Amino acid sequence: MKAAFALLKKDLASEVRTRYAINSLGMFIVVVVSVILFSIGDEKITDYLTGGLFWVVVFFTSMSGLSRAFVSEEERGTTLTLQLIARPESIYSGKFFFNVALIFSMNLIIALLFSFFFEMFIFKNILLFVCAFIIGNIGVAASSTIIAAIISKAGSKGTLYPVLAFPILLPLILTLIELTKQSMDGNSISESSVELAVLFCYDVVMVASAYLLFDFIWKD
Amino acid sequence: MNKKYIFGGVIVTVFLSMMIYLFTQSNIQYESDFVKVKEKARMIKATGSWVKEKNYDFNKESKQLTFYMKDTQGEEMRVVYDGTLPNNFEIATSIVVTGKYENGTFHAKDILTKCPSKYQDQKTQANS
Repeated sequence: MKAAFALLKKDLASEVRTRYAINSLGMFIVVVVSVILFSIGDEKITDYLTGGLFWVVVFFTSMSGLSRAFVSEEERGTTLTLQLIARPESIYSGKFFFNVALIFSMNLIIALLFSFFFEMFIFKNILLFVCAFIIGNIGVAASSTIIAAIISKAGSKGTLYPVLAFPILLPLILTLIELTKQSMDGNSISESSVELAVLFCYDVVMVASAYLLFDFIWKD
Repeated sequence: MNKKYIFGGVIVTVFLSMMIYLFTQSNIQYESDFVKVKEKARMIKATGSWVKEKNYDFNKESKQLTFYMKDTQGEEMRVVYDGTLPNNFEIATSIVVTGKYENGTFHAKDILTKCPSKYQDQKTQANS
């Protein structure tokens, strides 16, 4: 656990120094939101469509940002050092915490931009959306960390991530869109407890299987 | 080392099967009993037929369609739909409305109509 936090600290420090992920994610979010705004124009879009667009933006932003977690180590040639000094579990935890921090900050920015620019992005039950947002973000971070570990060993890193991420993230995104719709309709938390339970199970399954499988990916 | 895989494997299988079971539950369910539709305050697909005696009403200002539906037991409910009358509404044998029951009215988001089959007469002739 100590090693995991050390790795998280190291990643945060190198992120503050290079600002690679923050810059690329920030630009990506700005470009995507403005493209959506231009293409909509004066058209009135429904609230459901806005909720769907929100998760589309989240999916593609996670694709461009979170897939970097292990590729950056590979590019700098520090993978071997990491393999020597730390156990696989703590490396996965460190990278996972870093991705959680990254995705929370980036999704908060997307949510703020959406609520600022789209007048239909309003929730009758904001608490339900916040619950779905938190559990969903953890799920996205857990699965994209393990996918990032897989693609860092492969040749074509850029194209492999969406191919692997799509089937794994699909049930998560579907449930999140459904929950977003329900929080726009004003469902209470107990009414949507089934969907929240699905999200929670997804998180547990992804984290548990990632811990089991990471040994094999990491040791090659 | 081996214990870790057994323990993790059990967790993964239990939660995965729970997730698959819940995922099938989370879809919008069909309900043909309007008493149950009125009890549950969640998105539901209610199947029934249009009450022809109480005519439908289309409000041109609010663009709202109001009509009455009844199920097989004869239980009636008022349905409100934001939109125009669907095709074949008058001749439909049964109607499926997707929506939520609130304060005495069913707010439909979508209406599906089921029309009488063109081939029904020929089939009965062939049987006789």
